[in-house]
Amino acid sequence: MLRIKEISKNYAGAPSLAGVSFAVPANSITGIIGPNGAGKSTLLRIMAGFEFPDSGEILFRGTPLAGFAAIKRLVSYMPEQLEIYPDYRVNQFLNFLHRAVGRADEELLDVLNLRGVGQKKIGHLSKGYRQRVKLYFSLCNDRRIIILDEPFDGFDPIQLQDILEMIRAEQRKGRTFIISIHQLHDAEKICGHYVLLKEGRMVAEGDMNALSDRFGLEKPSLEQVFMEALL
Amino acid sequence: MRRRLLLLVKEIRDLFLSRAALVLLLILSAVIGYSFYSAVVLYGNASVAAIDNPLYAAGFEPVPGVFAPTFGGLFLVFSLFLPFLLIPQITQERRNNTLAVLLQIPFSWLEIVTAKFCAAILFVLFALALTLPAVALWSAWGGHVPYGELALLAVGYLLYGIFVASVSLFAAALFDDTARASILAVIAIMASWLVDFGRDMNVSPLVTAVSDWTVTRMVKLFENGILSAQAAAYLLLLSLVFAACGYWLLRFDLRRKWRRLAGTALVIMAALYLASHLHLNADLAESGRNSFPAPTAEALRKVPALEIDVYLEKTDSRFKDFQKSFLDKLLLVKRDVKVTMIGGAPLKESYGKFVYQVNGRADTTFSNSDEEIFPLIFRLAGIEPAKRDGLPSYPGYPLVTSSGRQMTVIWLYLAMIPSLALLAFTAAHFSPRKKE
Repeated sequence: MLRIKEISKNYAGAPSLAGVSFAVPANSITGIIGPNGAGKSTLLRIMAGFEFPDSGEILFRGTPLAGFAAIKRLVSYMPEQLEIYPDYRVNQFLNFLHRAVGRADEELLDVLNLRGVGQKKIGHLSKGYRQRVKLYFSLCNDRRIIILDEPFDGFDPIQLQDILEMIRAEQRKGRTFIISIHQLHDAEKICGHYVLLKEGRMVAEGDMNALSDRFGLEKPSLEQVFMEALL
Repeated sequence: MRRRLLLLVKEIRDLFLSRAALVLLLILSAVIGYSFYSAVVLYGNASVAAIDNPLYAAGFEPVPGVFAPTFGGLFLVFSLFLPFLLIPQITQERRNNTLAVLLQIPFSWLEIVTAKFCAAILFVLFALALTLPAVALWSAWGGHVPYGELALLAVGYLLYGIFVASVSLFAAALFDDTARASILAVIAIMASWLVDFGRDMNVSPLVTAVSDWTVTRMVKLFENGILSAQAAAYLLLLSLVFAACGYWLLRFDLRRKWRRLAGTALVIMAALYLASHLHLNADLAESGRNSFPAPTAEALRKVPALEIDVYLEKTDSRFKDFQKSFLDKLLLVKRDVKVTMIGGAPLKESYGKFVYQVNGRADTTFSNSDEEIFPLIFRLAGIEPAKRDGLPSYPGYPLVTSSGRQMTVIWLYLAMIPSLALLAFTAAHFSPRKKE
């Protein structure tokens, strides 16, 4: 569905991404995995059109995606460093969002349990609830590709189960997710496809079977693959 | 359209309900109140001697005497504080990544920047509206309010506010962090003051030449009661340069934005050059203080093309007097006047001389007084000099105010308006909201 082709990006002469290529299968949940500084956030920003690569291109069904306008029709992006209007009450932001996009997702509001905190200011919410507001913003639209940068930070294990189930439900509706995750056990619970990055280079990609074959491991955990691939 | 309105309402809310807006409102109220109070006290004290003296009373004009100093407070606040309110409206969105939210909703860059700019202009209008209680008080005390001249003054400050908003947008687009952007904006705004200061200090001929085009000088025209198409076009176009460059700089989704920046700047510079040739001016001062008496103006219009060679430095006080009392008034009446500032050795040899030429005939004077100049010009043109009326046609409006009335200003601007602002801010931020 989406093909990343030879993407490179340098910052002040130092390579952040070096010729990264991989494919994102349609209707998949693809995890971008890698240690800190591997280039995960840079890659997601480029895929979302918020940054230019120095070289390379992004293809959607074989056609290059040219320009921010073309990308934002397809892609919804939740940056890691997103602080949604801390002075706004949750309801105030949701009302603005609903009126601006012309729709509200009642089911999603229930799943994310946002109705109970409507009167609170976003800046006063716990980190988990702030993440829920961000997730709601990223999903309350009709885009087919959802890019989430570290979306599971701040959730306790019980909350996380609800969030993972919600993402699976959205996937069943036909959406494709590309998620940057640094907690490997969380990634293992949700992702069906993986892209492993190390120091700006793609080390491996594929589902768990492909990764097992690639590193000659038998029924490995993602952590074992990660250690084998990246260390 | 509904979506754009929604965005505009959001931007207005973000700006007007910010803590910086509250602080600025308190400063504005105090500065306008104190400026008005000081002006009323001075005007009142001076008016005592003018009440029974029509000739002396003719010099009492409410706009230069009271309202221009009151608006002068706005000038200070706009220059030094407004950028600190407007810049965070963009830098915070950049830092929090909420521009990404707005862009994905999706609003376009143009919609976002326009909404922010309109909200900034509304704040400027709101700040201007803070002078209305002063006008109402003045009127209630029996003071004369020249509405046309006052509106012109307000337009001048509105244009200045738009200029400050544009510079703020540009600075916020250039730098991510609020502090650096604010410092840049204040420096850019104060550059105008520095050039004026340099002119007064006679720093260099270049500074003197540039000083004809400072923003402060343009605003001064409106303050003096002159409706100048050139000044209005200049201020608007200069604002457009900064706003357009800010818009291009802000857009991270463009490659080669420097080309667009340069192209935009060039087009607007060309428009600025054309605007510099606009000579549509009108004296809206009720007293006609910027114009010659009507019979003189009528006679001057009949004079053929006039050339004036001035053997003075532009910074010489005699030239400034000549410019204020004669040349500016002449240029309001006649467009076919060519003024040449003589330099080099001839300047040193004949310093202080004015040479007037009409129809190839020339005459010289060292006086900058119109009583000398008019007969000379009319003689050269062969026109009967206009008869001058001894009595001024403008009656003047002196007004003595009691200390009780003067204290009303202090109560209004230093207590009531700040209290109302604090109440409104508290109500907006801390009141319990209805459950949905």
